[in-house]
Amino acid sequence: MADTVTPSEPPEAPTNRPPAMHRLHEWLSRKYVRHVLIITVVIGFLLLPLCWLLLAAMNQSGAPASGIMEDIEQTVFVFTLVAIPITAFVFAVLVYSLIGWKGRSGEEPPNNDNPAIRNNTVAVVTWTVVSSVLVAFFVVWGMLELANITANSYGTQPINGQIKADDVLIVNVTGQQWVWTFEYPQYDKYSSDILYLEKDRPVLFNVTSKDVVHNFWAVELGVKIDANPGAVTQTGVTPNKEGIFNVRCAELCGLHHAYMETQIRVFGEETFDSWMRENGGGKTS
Amino acid sequence: MSTATIYQVEVPQPKQHGKPGGIMRHLNFFTGLAGGVILAAVFGYLMNIQFASGAQTADFASASAGPTFWAIMVGWVVGFLGGMGAFVGPIRWMLGRDLTHDDAEFMAGKGQGKFRYWRFTTDHKVVGIQYLIMAMIILGFGGLLAMLIRTELGVTWAEVFNPDFYNSLVGTHGIAMIIAMIVVVSGPVGNFVVPIMCGARDMAFPRLNALSIWLLVCAVPPLIISLLVGGVRDGWSVYQPLNAQAGPGMIGYQTTIIVFAVSTAIASVNIMTTILTMRAKGMTWSRTPILIYGIFAAAAMGLYAFPFYQYSQILSMTDRLINTSFFNPVEGGSVWLYENLFWLLGHPEVYVILIPSTAVILELIPVFMRKPLFSYYIAIAGIVGVVGLSGLVWAHHMYMTGWAPQAGYPFMLSTELISIPVGFLVLVIIGTMWRGTFWSRLPMMAVFAVVFNKMIGGVTGIYLSDVPADQYFHGNMFVTAHFHYMLMGVALFGAMGGVAYYFPKWTGRYLDERTASIGFWLAFAGFQLTFGSMFVAGLQGQPRRVLQFDNMFNLSNWLSTIGAYTIGIAMLIFLAAIITSWRSGAPAPGNPWHAQTLDWQTPTPVPLDNFPVLPVVKGLPYDYGVPDPLAPEKVEAELQKAGTP
Repeated sequence: MADTVTPSEPPEAPTNRPPAMHRLHEWLSRKYVRHVLIITVVIGFLLLPLCWLLLAAMNQSGAPASGIMEDIEQTVFVFTLVAIPITAFVFAVLVYSLIGWKGRSGEEPPNNDNPAIRNNTVAVVTWTVVSSVLVAFFVVWGMLELANITANSYGTQPINGQIKADDVLIVNVTGQQWVWTFEYPQYDKYSSDILYLEKDRPVLFNVTSKDVVHNFWAVELGVKIDANPGAVTQTGVTPNKEGIFNVRCAELCGLHHAYMETQIRVFGEETFDSWMRENGGGKTS
Repeated sequence: MSTATIYQVEVPQPKQHGKPGGIMRHLNFFTGLAGGVILAAVFGYLMNIQFASGAQTADFASASAGPTFWAIMVGWVVGFLGGMGAFVGPIRWMLGRDLTHDDAEFMAGKGQGKFRYWRFTTDHKVVGIQYLIMAMIILGFGGLLAMLIRTELGVTWAEVFNPDFYNSLVGTHGIAMIIAMIVVVSGPVGNFVVPIMCGARDMAFPRLNALSIWLLVCAVPPLIISLLVGGVRDGWSVYQPLNAQAGPGMIGYQTTIIVFAVSTAIASVNIMTTILTMRAKGMTWSRTPILIYGIFAAAAMGLYAFPFYQYSQILSMTDRLINTSFFNPVEGGSVWLYENLFWLLGHPEVYVILIPSTAVILELIPVFMRKPLFSYYIAIAGIVGVVGLSGLVWAHHMYMTGWAPQAGYPFMLSTELISIPVGFLVLVIIGTMWRGTFWSRLPMMAVFAVVFNKMIGGVTGIYLSDVPADQYFHGNMFVTAHFHYMLMGVALFGAMGGVAYYFPKWTGRYLDERTASIGFWLAFAGFQLTFGSMFVAGLQGQPRRVLQFDNMFNLSNWLSTIGAYTIGIAMLIFLAAIITSWRSGAPAPGNPWHAQTLDWQTPTPVPLDNFPVLPVVKGLPYDYGVPDPLAPEKVEAELQKAGTP
């Protein structure tokens, strides 16, 4: 045959297929599509205040007092913002199903007049791509923030970027049923049941427990780590505000778990030093 | 060429000894109860003599309390199962007396009327109903404890209970609800519906099926009794070494878990074998209803996950009773080992609860939308994806424990990846809703409730899977609210939809949907109030499992308590609808929903052997609806005709 197509030649593109943009346009011009999208936008805007309301609730006991807590709140804000569109879309489909496509009641099922949509490649691919991109965003954001927090946690690198490793305040935190004890090895092993910290000075916590698992949670500082018997866990923070903040136990530890809370007092540099001189003996290291 | 001589061999039939059923005729739940109590008393007495030469009283604070209580528990389990007749089969087999056909029919409950529900009955339909009743009893018990917990938290100006009792309430509520939720769908649907849906006459191992339900029945009393002797004061996770400090009630918890894990393993193997080998001719994997995939997935995850939990509790028990030190840090044990073992169960278990409920929703939505399931293969991919990832995410419960801080990165990845397959399931649901007119019945209403709750639970799960955000939310009421949205909002509301859907098949009567809907929507409203407020309490920074808190948490806790009471009342209304409909509802035909799966093609009540002739499947399970007028190829043809580019 003379007109046989050689195998190397690409097959002819189908010409009777309308261009993608036109198909999208056709789809968007359908009534129910427009309605679902409008409802999505409306619900999205209704949900939008949540971004700030969540933070307002988190700040109710006190505004963030460390860079870590600020990072945490930023994460919550961004995650809420990113999750809103997809939530709004799903809710919009539910709403439109109820008020647009509507239901029919009755003892017998409605006639089989619903379109048998078995699949839609475009919808499935779009959904998969969008959800994968969102997940990728959440994971990358989380990892970067985690790296950032880890770097800031161990007291070697305060928020202002300057390394003051030799200036780190070390506090040995011990949980026992049902009190916290804070020991300052650099201050003559002064110990207290209230956590005294210095503003803008990185602090390293060596956390352990005498009996059961507790969880050392400095709420406004965004610090949380288990106090395990038989192990020392480390974390750290740099408080950036003076004031009184909360420590709570966040792991069930028995009878008086609910009452295992105490205060953090963050002082300025002079106040902290003079307070330590008066109450805790001189600086030993 | 060789010739073969064919011998016709008469297969020897086992000889009938006495009446069909033999000793099983005399054994039932009440002999089981008596056997359990008697043997428990005997074992407890013997152990008490062994340990304390006369000086000890029945005071459980004494040194012999642990071993004595342990002996009581062993006596209960062995005595109850013996009294039920669980050991008759193996003994008979060892004596070389196999079951005759009449014996097997007796065991399946033929001609025993309602009393077969009280026996070691092998018929899968009886077992399914037994599971349903048992799940409802445990849910009621757990719900009652929830009301007490909310009462304590709502009364912000005083302590209603002493802290120890409050802690027991929290722990017992947790584990009771976990057990109830694991069986509430997999039990009744997995046992009653799945074999019929497969086109089988019974489960693959009918006697093991009976054993699995009676092991569950056997597992629950130790948990309830433990409330009387010190309780489970440590949350449902009973972290070590707090676990070791608790009274002998903890042995009740451990017994419950060990027995329940055996029950789950047996049930899982049974369900998986049934699904793998007993599907009807023609029911290829691409024609298998999605519910069967869901139940299979749950069984597979249960089979993988529960042994970890069982080991952790066996090791805890030896730590307590014979002074091993697996988890005792003072003697070189590790609390992190316990936490790992526990959460290796703990996270797959969440999906063991969620997937069957979601599968029921996926199963019923095509029926009420009168449309095929949208993207059947994506639904399967979603289920497979969840199963695949479920075993790789456990350490996200341990971000803040100090165990391997670097593990935060991979576990954050695996945890957040799981939202892709879960998203598939949401896509399938909303895709099936797309452009369809639904049949407005109660099961369909459950779909709306479940998707709503799933979005809230799913999105809040993203915060918790993220290590930095978890640094605030871990161990905080936010977590409690999140997992209630998943386990109650998705799984329990899905299960209520499933009950409404299968009620005509189970009972032969219509559910009173008017009353049940009032209960359902009231529960939904109460649920949003309870756990919405709990999210707020968590954001404000209220730790979990506390009975007193700062004044700033008062408002959210009051609202939460009001919501919880609403749920309590609503559940009673729903229960009343179930009970009255079961007793005197309008009789339902075999296929009231005009569904196409095999389970609805049998008459109701389903005959003992389900199908007189085994069915052959020739089509897709969800063949509803009419050809789509807006299908892409049709639209293109229209456009071509109209001459547009």
